[in-house]
Amino acid sequence: MGAVVIEQLTKDFSGVTVLQNIELDIKEGEFFALLGPSGCGKTTTMRCIAGFEQPTTGKIKIGGKVVNEVEPNKRNCGMVFQSYALFPHMNVFDNVAYSLNIKQLKASNPIKKIGVYTRMLNSKLVKYSKAIEDKVMNILEYVELADHATKLTSELSGGQQQRVALARALVMEPEVLLMDEPLSNLDQKLRHTMRNTIRKIQQELKITTIFVTHDQEEAMSMADRVAVMKDGEILQIGTPTDLYSNPQTPFIADFVGTSNILSGNIIRKENGISFVEVGDQQVKSTSDVDKKDVQIVIRPESIIVLDKNSQDYDNYFEGEVKLSTYLGSIVRYDITVGEYNLVADTTYESGNNILQEGAKVKLGVSPERVLLI
Amino acid sequence: MKRFKKSLTGIGIVKFLIYLFFIMFLIIPLISVFLVSFTDEPINLFGSLISLDTLQTTIAQFKSSTLDNFRAVFSNSNYLDALLNSLFLSFIVSIVVLLICVPISYGIARTKMPFKKTISALCTIPLIVPTFISGYAFIIMFGRSGWATYIYQSMGGDGLLLDPYSFTGIAIVQIFFFFPYALWPMVAAFKISDVSLEEASRNMGAKSWLTFITVTFPLVIPGMLSTALVIFAVSFSDFGTPIILAPTDLNLLVVSAYREISGFFNWGGAAILTVIMIAVAGFVFWLQHLFSKGKNYDSVSGKPKQVKLNDNKLLTVSLSVFSGLVVLVPLLAMITVFIQSIATTWGKDPLPTGYTLAHYKTIFTSSLGNIQNSVVLALGALILSIIVATFVSYFVVRQKSSTLDFMTTIPLIVPGIAFGIALIQTFNAAPLQLTGTAVILIIAYSIRRLPYMVRSTVGTMRSIKADIEEAAVNLGASTLTAAITIIGPLMLPGIAAGSILVFITVIKETSISILMAPAEWAPMSLAIFQNILRAEYYSAAAMSIILVVLVLVLQGIANWFTRKQS
Ligand SMILES: Nc1ncnc2c1ncn2[C@@H]1O[C@H](COP(=O)(O)OP(=O)(O)OP(=O)(O)O)[C@@H](O)[C@H]1O
Ligand SMILES: [Mg+2]
Repeated sequence: MGAVVIEQLTKDFSGVTVLQNIELDIKEGEFFALLGPSGCGKTTTMRCIAGFEQPTTGKIKIGGKVVNEVEPNKRNCGMVFQSYALFPHMNVFDNVAYSLNIKQLKASNPIKKIGVYTRMLNSKLVKYSKAIEDKVMNILEYVELADHATKLTSELSGGQQQRVALARALVMEPEVLLMDEPLSNLDQKLRHTMRNTIRKIQQELKITTIFVTHDQEEAMSMADRVAVMKDGEILQIGTPTDLYSNPQTPFIADFVGTSNILSGNIIRKENGISFVEVGDQQVKSTSDVDKKDVQIVIRPESIIVLDKNSQDYDNYFEGEVKLSTYLGSIVRYDITVGEYNLVADTTYESGNNILQEGAKVKLGVSPERVLLI
Repeated sequence: MKRFKKSLTGIGIVKFLIYLFFIMFLIIPLISVFLVSFTDEPINLFGSLISLDTLQTTIAQFKSSTLDNFRAVFSNSNYLDALLNSLFLSFIVSIVVLLICVPISYGIARTKMPFKKTISALCTIPLIVPTFISGYAFIIMFGRSGWATYIYQSMGGDGLLLDPYSFTGIAIVQIFFFFPYALWPMVAAFKISDVSLEEASRNMGAKSWLTFITVTFPLVIPGMLSTALVIFAVSFSDFGTPIILAPTDLNLLVVSAYREISGFFNWGGAAILTVIMIAVAGFVFWLQHLFSKGKNYDSVSGKPKQVKLNDNKLLTVSLSVFSGLVVLVPLLAMITVFIQSIATTWGKDPLPTGYTLAHYKTIFTSSLGNIQNSVVLALGALILSIIVATFVSYFVVRQKSSTLDFMTTIPLIVPGIAFGIALIQTFNAAPLQLTGTAVILIIAYSIRRLPYMVRSTVGTMRSIKADIEEAAVNLGASTLTAAITIIGPLMLPGIAAGSILVFITVIKETSISILMAPAEWAPMSLAIFQNILRAEYYSAAAMSIILVVLVLVLQGIANWFTRKQS
C-alpha cells in the first residue's frame, strides 16, 4: 500500500488545459474521493495516476517513488473502469486470474511462457497452478462470486460484473486502487449496497483508494476525505463534515448538499456579529470575512419554520409557502421572502401538519448558522 | 530526437512498415504510371535510389519527356474512341440497370409480389459468377452454334438474335450481371422513403400510379443517382466481359490498355490509358461520394415504418413476370455453362448429343495445378491482407490515422487493369524486378481486396472499446501481450468474415490474373481465359463450374458464419 502524492500536475490536450496545478497528498490506507461535475477532469487525473496519460508538467509519486517515467503496466495501480472493461471472451475466473497469468509470464522460461500464453487464450488447454487457483477463488469468495466462477461475464448482472472488476483489480494486490465512477451504471438500490461493500472491503484491506464520482452523496458517505474539482482545478480538500459546514466557495456550498445562497453587503460589525444587507432585509452572522461584498450561505435545515408563539430569533423573516415537498423523514418548503426564494427543511413527525401553498410563515435562523463567503 | 526514440517501439516500427508497404506497392506505382505517360518509356524509380547510373538515365528520361501521349488522346482516334466508347458503354449500362431495377425493387420492397423469395434468391447468382464466365456463357448461348440462335432461327429468324461479340453483347451481359449491385440499395431506398407522404397523397384521392410517379418516385431519386454511379464505376472497371467479347474493331479503355501493354509493349500508350481510367474512376467516385453524403440508407434511425404492401393482382403478377424474366437470363447462362461442361459434343442443337464427365476428369488430371495455384495465391493474398488490415484497423481506430484510412480506399477506386499496369511497369527492372513473380501477384491481389478486409476489421476494432485494452495493460500486460491475448481473440470474427470475402474475390479476380500471372503460376481464371481464347469450350466450361462451385461453397460458409454471429 502506498501514499499517493501529486505535485503541480498540469495536463494539456493539444493546447487546451484540462488540469491545472493539481496538488494532492493522499495518505496510506486512505479512502479519497475526487468529486466534481462532468468534464472537470476527474478521469484525466486518474488516468495520469494510472499512467494512461502523460502529465504535461508536474510529478506523481506512489509510495514515495516518482512514477512519471514508469510504464502503465508496471505501476501496480488496480483500476476499476466505469464500464468495468471486463474481457468478454473470458469467464469470470479467467478475468480475475489475468494479472496472475501476467506475473507468471514474466517469471517463466520461454517454454513455460508458451504454456501461459496458451492458457490466456484458452484456459481449458493449460491448467492453472494450485496457488493461482486458491488465490482467485479466495478473492471471488470475498466478493461473493465463487458460485459464478465459470460463467461468462455477459451472463452476470450489473452488480456482479462490478464485483468481478473489483476482484480483478484486488487480486494483483495493488499499491493503490483507482475507481472511476464505479457505481454510475447501477440502479439506485444496488448503488447503496455496493457503496457499503466497497467501503467494507477498503476498510478491511486498508488499501489506499481513489474514488472518482460526480455524486456528492456518494463521495460524502464513503470517503475519508474529498477533493472538490471544477474546470480542471481543485477548489477544496477536506473531510465530508468539513466541506459541508465550511465550504470555501459558493460553488462548493451548492455542490455539496443544497444551500440557499444570496449576495449581500456587510454594513457593520459589532461584537463579532456581522450585519449584512440583503435587498431590503438584514441578516446577522457570526462568521467573519475581510470583504464587503459577500455571499450568504444558509443550509435548508438551518432555517426554522416558527409557529406563531415561538421565541425570538436574531434573524427573523416573514414569507409565504410556494411549494411543499414531502421527502419521507423531512418536508422541504420553497418559501418566498420578499424578492428571494428560500429552501427550508423541517423534520417530519407523523401527526404534524404540512403547510400548504400560500400559507404565511415566519422563519428564524440563528447567526451561527449563517455562513459568509 | 526524444520523440523519434519514443516512436521506435515495437508498434512504431510496425506502423513504419505498413506505410512502407503502401508507398512501395500502391503510391509509387500510381505516381510512376503517371510519369511514364510523359516519358513514354518505363522509368526505374527504385533503381534511381541506389544507382547513380540509373538515376542519370531517369533524369535524362524526364528531360526528354513529352506531352505527345496527352496530345494523342485527342489526335489518335483509337484512344479517343476507346475513351468515348467506354464512357458510352458505362452510361448505357447504368441507365438500363436503373430502369430494370425500378420495377423489381418496387416489387420486392412494396408489394406482395408472388415468388418474391425465389426471385430475391436468384438475384445473387450474378454476384457469384466472374464476368468473363458470363461473357463466355453468352457466346455459347447466342453464338453461331448456340441454342438460343437455334431457337431463333427455327422460328424463322435470320442470322443471329444477338451478336455476343459486339458493343450490344457486352452491354447486355453487364446489364444482366451487374443489376444486383443496384437492386439492394434501391430496395432499401423504397423501404425507407417516407410512406406517410404517399398515404397523404392517396387520401387526397390520387390514383396509385399517380402517387407513384409524383410522390414515391421523386423520393428515391437521390438514392438512384448514387446507385447509377456505382453501376457506372463497376461497368467502367470491368475487364472480364470486354476482354472476352470485344471485337477487334471495338476500342474500349480496358481492352486497349491491355493490348498496348501485352501485345505491343507500348508503355507510354498503356500509361496514358491507365491515367485516363484512373481519372474517370476517381471522378465518378468523388461524385458518388457527393451524392451519398448524408444519405446513408443503412443508418437511418427511428422505427421501421409499417408499410402497407400493395396487393393489386394485375400489378403484382406483371411485376413478378418481369422480375422472373430478368433473373432467368443469368440462371439460363449458368445452366448452359453446366450443360456444356458435361456434353460430349454440343453443336447447333437445343441439347448436346450425349453426356460425359470426361471434361472434369481431364481437369483433375491435367489442370489440377491451376486449381492449386488459385488456392495458394488466394491464401497468400489472404494472409498478407489479414496482417496488413489488422494493423491498419488498429492505427485507424486507435490512433485516428486518416492517411492510412485514405490509402485503403484507393484500391476501391483504381480499376484492376490500371493497377496491374502500374505495378508491372514499376517493378519491371532491378533492384526490384518482381514483374512475373508470384510475389507481386499476391501483393497485387491483397492490395486490391484489402478494402474488404479493412472494412471488416475496422468494424470489429471499433466495437472493442479502448478501455478493455487499457484494463489489460493496467493489470500488468505489455501492449503486445494485450494485443495477443485480448485484442487478437476479440478480432477473430471480423477477420474471419473479411477472409472469406477476400478469398472469394481473389479466386474470381480476372484483370490482375490475366495481366500479371506468370505461366507457372496460372490460376483458374487465367486457365479458363486461355481455354476460351483457344476455343476449348468444354474444359473452359468444366473449370468455370468448379470455380463457381468453389465460390458458392465459400459464400455458403460465410453466410452460415454471419448468421451464427448475429
Ligand atoms: N483525449 C482527450 N483529448 C482531448 N480532450 C480530452 C481528452 N480526454 C479528456 N479531454 C477533455 O478534458 C476534460 C476533462 O475530461 P475528463 O474525462 O477528465 O472529465 P471527467 O471529470 O471525468 O468527466 P465525467 O464526469 O463526464 O466523466 C473534458 O473537457 C474533456 O473534453
Ligand atoms: Mg470521467
